[in-house]
Amino acid sequence: MKQKSISLITIFALFLAGAFMPSILKQYHLNMLTEIIIFSLYAVSYNLLLGYAGLLSFGHAAFFGLGAFATAVAITHIPGISLWNVILIGIAATLIAGFVLGGLLLRHKGSYFALLTLAFNALFYAVATKWHSVTGGDDGLSITRPDLNLGFTSIPLNSLTNFYYLTLVIMGAAIVFCWYFTHTAMGKTVLLMRENEDRMKFLGYNTNISRLILFTFTGVIAGFAGVFYTFHFQFVSISAISIDMTTAVLLMVFVGGKKTFWGPILGAFVYIILQNYLSNITDRWPLVMGVIFIIMVLYAPGGLSELIINIKQRFFGKKNNNGDKSATPEEVTS
Amino acid sequence: MSDYLHIQDIHKDFSGLKVLTGVEFKVKQNERHAVIGPNGAGKTTLFNIISGKFKPSSGAILFKGEDISGKPSHVLNRHGLSRSFQITNVFQELSVFDNILSGVRSCYGLRYHFFKKPNHNRSICEKVETILKEVGLTDVQDQPANSLSYGQQRAMEIGITLSTEPELILLDEPTAGMTREETDQAIKMIDKVTAGRTLIVIEHDMEVVFSLADTISVLHYGTILVSDTPEKIRNDQRVKDAYLGEG
Repeated sequence: MKQKSISLITIFALFLAGAFMPSILKQYHLNMLTEIIIFSLYAVSYNLLLGYAGLLSFGHAAFFGLGAFATAVAITHIPGISLWNVILIGIAATLIAGFVLGGLLLRHKGSYFALLTLAFNALFYAVATKWHSVTGGDDGLSITRPDLNLGFTSIPLNSLTNFYYLTLVIMGAAIVFCWYFTHTAMGKTVLLMRENEDRMKFLGYNTNISRLILFTFTGVIAGFAGVFYTFHFQFVSISAISIDMTTAVLLMVFVGGKKTFWGPILGAFVYIILQNYLSNITDRWPLVMGVIFIIMVLYAPGGLSELIINIKQRFFGKKNNNGDKSATPEEVTS
Repeated sequence: MSDYLHIQDIHKDFSGLKVLTGVEFKVKQNERHAVIGPNGAGKTTLFNIISGKFKPSSGAILFKGEDISGKPSHVLNRHGLSRSFQITNVFQELSVFDNILSGVRSCYGLRYHFFKKPNHNRSICEKVETILKEVGLTDVQDQPANSLSYGQQRAMEIGITLSTEPELILLDEPTAGMTREETDQAIKMIDKVTAGRTLIVIEHDMEVVFSLADTISVLHYGTILVSDTPEKIRNDQRVKDAYLGEG
């Protein structure tokens, strides 16, 4: 109850702050913030797999890229399609892909699971590269954002501010839903999967179904972020579906910390900001990112969120005096 | 009326190693049935087969007249069968409350729901609290499982086993590794919480077996040597030779 109201106030405050950003930030920074919000959802979806369910996937970009390509392909090939239908197509494509891939992968664990997801990602990448007539191959696809039709009025999305608000509301709502999800029955089942899949079976849980539901769900959420990725850049290239996109999300989650819900969001902030500034300085920015990743994994495996929690506990006393051990599950579930 | 549980001629080979060679015994409803036998006799393998972890090589398990052998564990659990583990097998990083909750909500059908929060369901929470009280873990319900003492972890193991409201309970060495005092307490608790249900228990501690069980089956080299009341088992020459006589 106290925890809950703090969370709700935080969410409200973040949305409110987000609403004022266009009047504060310059276009360049607003652009970056839009990108951050989209990647936050992508990172949150990945953390539901990695941090919550303990499943290491190297194929998350397959869903992100599928959502991104489905959007571009739909807008290119269906003239006059509405924004809502584009989103629906993106979600439907990732839903089907998640269900099929999940069905093929659900019996595999650990490194087998990781390698198979990597193989599927490579397969998706190959299709995107070779199927030139649909995906544009190496050239990618350029689109223009459809207008936002609200029934009574139509809002043009070619202005960045309007698109920023749409992203803030829809991607923000999706992140809030993911947060809500972690408290629901299925969200708690995900934690059981991480903790002890064997014991779950003896409590009446079908672990295959649990895995399939989670894999499909996180795939759809990643695809949803992919849809907005294409909207945002008004362009999609094969880099959206490449292994690099999986590495990017891994970095975000690790840098932000996989033990908390908000860690990956923080990770997305840091990643996108660093990427933007570093790529201005040098073309070899991935090198710097790599070094940061190594340092984080070696010295702060809990990511920035753990560092922040530790600092908070040091300076503001020990409010929850149950010792360090109790902090971990509480954070994951709260 | 057919028997409540009938283990029929169960065989289990692990790639040539014959662990069970024709296990046969019956359990009546509300009976407290103990399975004893020396190390390596196949007791845990037998439990793994009854609870669906392994498939038997041959034979049948009739539960209320229906053959349940080879059915997956989660299906058996929904049929009313629940088991505990010899080596504590819980959700280590979750709180004690969440550990018990995992079984209770499963029993209420809240396994994969995307919108309902199990903590908001009053009858589920009350049920969890009742179980916590029964196994004596109310004071530590918010602590993570891995912070509990060994005895508390064993109690939680039983709490989780009870959490799906089973009618048939299999306990695999519930007092393993406990001190005399802890064992006595555990037995009292088990006796209380399993009242009105059918219990099959694997146990090494003879004191536990003779104080808890109505019927004892002696498993010896993959087969049931004898299955009878504690009095008769105590005086059975074959059992003395094979097992009890050692001590």
